[in-house]
Amino acid sequence: MGGLGLSNMTVGQTPTDGLMMPKGDICFLLNFDYGQFDHYWEGETLRKNGTIAKVQRKTALVMVAYGITKRLDAYVGLPYISTNSTTPNGGKFAGAKGIQDLTLALKYEAFRHKGEKGELTAFGSVTFSAPVSNYLSDYQPYSLGIGAPQLAWRGLVEYEWDNGFYLRGNGGYIWKGYTQAEREYYYNEGSYYTSWMDVPSAWTYEAVIGKWFMNKSLRVELNYNSSKSTSGDDIRAYNAPQPTNKVDMNRVGAFAQYFFKKPKGLGLVASYSKVINGRNAPEMSSISVGITYQFGLFHPKN
Amino acid sequence: MACSTQKIERMKLLQLTIILITMAMMTSCNMDLETELEYESYEFSGIDENAGSWKPILISNGNDITIDEPTSISSAEYLSELSEVKSMISAMSSDQRKQVNLWTNNSVIRWNEVALGLIAKYNLIPGPNVDESYTLPNPANPKGPPVFPFAHPPYASRALAYLSVAQYDGMISAWHYKFMYDRPSPYMVDPEIPYAYVPNNLPSYPSEGAVLATVSRKILTAMFPLEAEYLLQLEKDHLESLLLAGENVPSDLDAGKKIGEEIASIALARASNDGMKYAQAPKAVSDSLRAAAFDRFGWQWENLESPVRPVGLTPLFGKVKMWSVPNVEDTRAPVPPTPGSEAFQKDVKILEDYADNVTHERRRIANFWQDGLGTYTPPGHWNDIAGEYFLKYKLNSIRTARAFAYMNMAIMDGGISCWDTKYYYYYPRPIQMIKGFETIAGTPNFPSYTSGHSVFSAAAAEVLTYLFPQEGSVFQKWAEEAAMSRVYGGIHWTFDATVGTTQGRDVAQYTIEVAKTDGADN
Repeated sequence: MGGLGLSNMTVGQTPTDGLMMPKGDICFLLNFDYGQFDHYWEGETLRKNGTIAKVQRKTALVMVAYGITKRLDAYVGLPYISTNSTTPNGGKFAGAKGIQDLTLALKYEAFRHKGEKGELTAFGSVTFSAPVSNYLSDYQPYSLGIGAPQLAWRGLVEYEWDNGFYLRGNGGYIWKGYTQAEREYYYNEGSYYTSWMDVPSAWTYEAVIGKWFMNKSLRVELNYNSSKSTSGDDIRAYNAPQPTNKVDMNRVGAFAQYFFKKPKGLGLVASYSKVINGRNAPEMSSISVGITYQFGLFHPKN
Repeated sequence: MACSTQKIERMKLLQLTIILITMAMMTSCNMDLETELEYESYEFSGIDENAGSWKPILISNGNDITIDEPTSISSAEYLSELSEVKSMISAMSSDQRKQVNLWTNNSVIRWNEVALGLIAKYNLIPGPNVDESYTLPNPANPKGPPVFPFAHPPYASRALAYLSVAQYDGMISAWHYKFMYDRPSPYMVDPEIPYAYVPNNLPSYPSEGAVLATVSRKILTAMFPLEAEYLLQLEKDHLESLLLAGENVPSDLDAGKKIGEEIASIALARASNDGMKYAQAPKAVSDSLRAAAFDRFGWQWENLESPVRPVGLTPLFGKVKMWSVPNVEDTRAPVPPTPGSEAFQKDVKILEDYADNVTHERRRIANFWQDGLGTYTPPGHWNDIAGEYFLKYKLNSIRTARAFAYMNMAIMDGGISCWDTKYYYYYPRPIQMIKGFETIAGTPNFPSYTSGHSVFSAAAAEVLTYLFPQEGSVFQKWAEEAAMSRVYGGIHWTFDATVGTTQGRDVAQYTIEVAKTDGADN
């Protein structure tokens, strides 16, 4: 539904985690995500809908991270998504599939201080994404994304104790632009005689508690994140959502990442998340697994 | 930690650049999203001095409704009205100025937009209850739930037809008295009174704006009872803007309001007995129509929603009183291909091909004309299109009302004819007949043959072609595209679309014959 377009990059070495790559290192991620929901919030009311039954959403994401300097990482990501309803459903709607948005991001380490008991780090990141195919955003709940350019600013702070525990928090603002529907009229608490829809921007927050295990080969995290639109209308009674909706959601999740000693550079990521409450949002639960491979591109070591 | 100062400087420069680019993007990307048709300095192509003698639809003549003779412009009463208006104008607030600019000198367009907005607001299909039953909207309890009305396409076509017909008759009445009494507008009487719009020499008694404000408020309140307060406020704003524009004095408004009230009552009396209240027939009636079709033809449409809706949408809309067609069966479409026949199988292939190969162009057409739930419906879309052409050709307000009236009469007649055909043949939808078939448009809750979009669109295009023959090829192309959009969407057979287009054109001829003889073409 409304918030389905947000790519959920809760994987390692991302613009929103606390890791930096060595200068010249490159990391490839191939991640598969499966999400589903059979209830969603129509405004603030949780409901089911036999027209769409259960909606499934599968995402294959390729992402590349690169350490430009030891304090600046760059990211490029591109997801392929397919959506559908399970059968039987009352709507008999075709799902959608295709490439969604190209994501470009930078993360900058602004501060690092080693104290007596641990280390405090702070980062700033900026993420830009835009559709790279002609998918239709105005085809909810099957649309691949919101079909609009997005620019997210985030600040991250992490404190890691010497015993391996860490806490991380981030807050950000996502500016979302306009998306073009394939109709010249829509209703958004009044008539709009245009195909352009203003997608509400949003504030986002995340809190993470994690711990390193096995001599820093494994980290495990529990996270809570929240996204709140700054404007927008509610999904109307028994009606399809549209990109102008005010989408809020709170989500809990778990995440694990394992770095192999051999072959060096290889890693696995896995995550689970569930939307626990929201507004004009799907009650989505997702699992994902991915594989990462990191190596020095310009400074081969060992 | 050994970052050189040079590096830090470079970083800062990079950050600053990104921030500046972003801020520039965010400010320059604020789009002005249109919420109404925009027209300023609108100059009528003519004022139709003889329009008071045109033949109205509901009443027999412009003088059927009577108003008092106005006071002379040299009378004390008039002069006191004039000074009242003058002081109002001099004390005009910026909000009041906005209202004057909003309503313009062709407020037929504005009231039509109000109707389109309400249709979109109320075009929501009632969902199932927790126990999987459905409750129908009930005019006796409009708050529901579900709220009344469900402004589906037949409902919308009817609301627009009554609104436009009543507006048109009211305007003929207003024109009749305008040129009979010939009272000049305040801005013509007193050079110190500014006129907010382009001067046009239309006499001001009675005010055509007041006719429109009152007749529209009253018709739309009957159609959308929960909006009574909102509509009353619009009427009040509109009436006040007529004084502030320098166009009318209060007695002009009073006479216009009287015409508006009376013509609306006449229209609503027709509406209350046109058969619409029986259109959403009970299950027994709808089942008997289904059984009759099955006996006759061996097929029957089924609703496939979850949970199943027990009754299709308005099975007896085909029995509603038509505007221009004496007998609906004269416009009924011929028998469609039998499922399993060669013609039918050919259509299955076409639909499967479209579903397997959704091109960008076909998807665009399917969505552009979809006008589904939550929108202003196909009748609303054609009103939107028509409004742009009425403005392009600078129609004055009575010509605009006339054009909307005939177009919406033809659209509603088309809908009635289409629904008669739908529930006579009770023909199944593609999702019912093609195993595993999936669509990119929502399959509606009524039989397939003929396509409502096709009939509504062809009827509208036909009347617009009569009004603007030089643009006819465009309207016809759009009507055919709207018809095919339903096939691209996967919810109609090609013969639903093509036969529906023929049906819409045929039905519209009845209304066009009426239009040709009302005196406006002389």
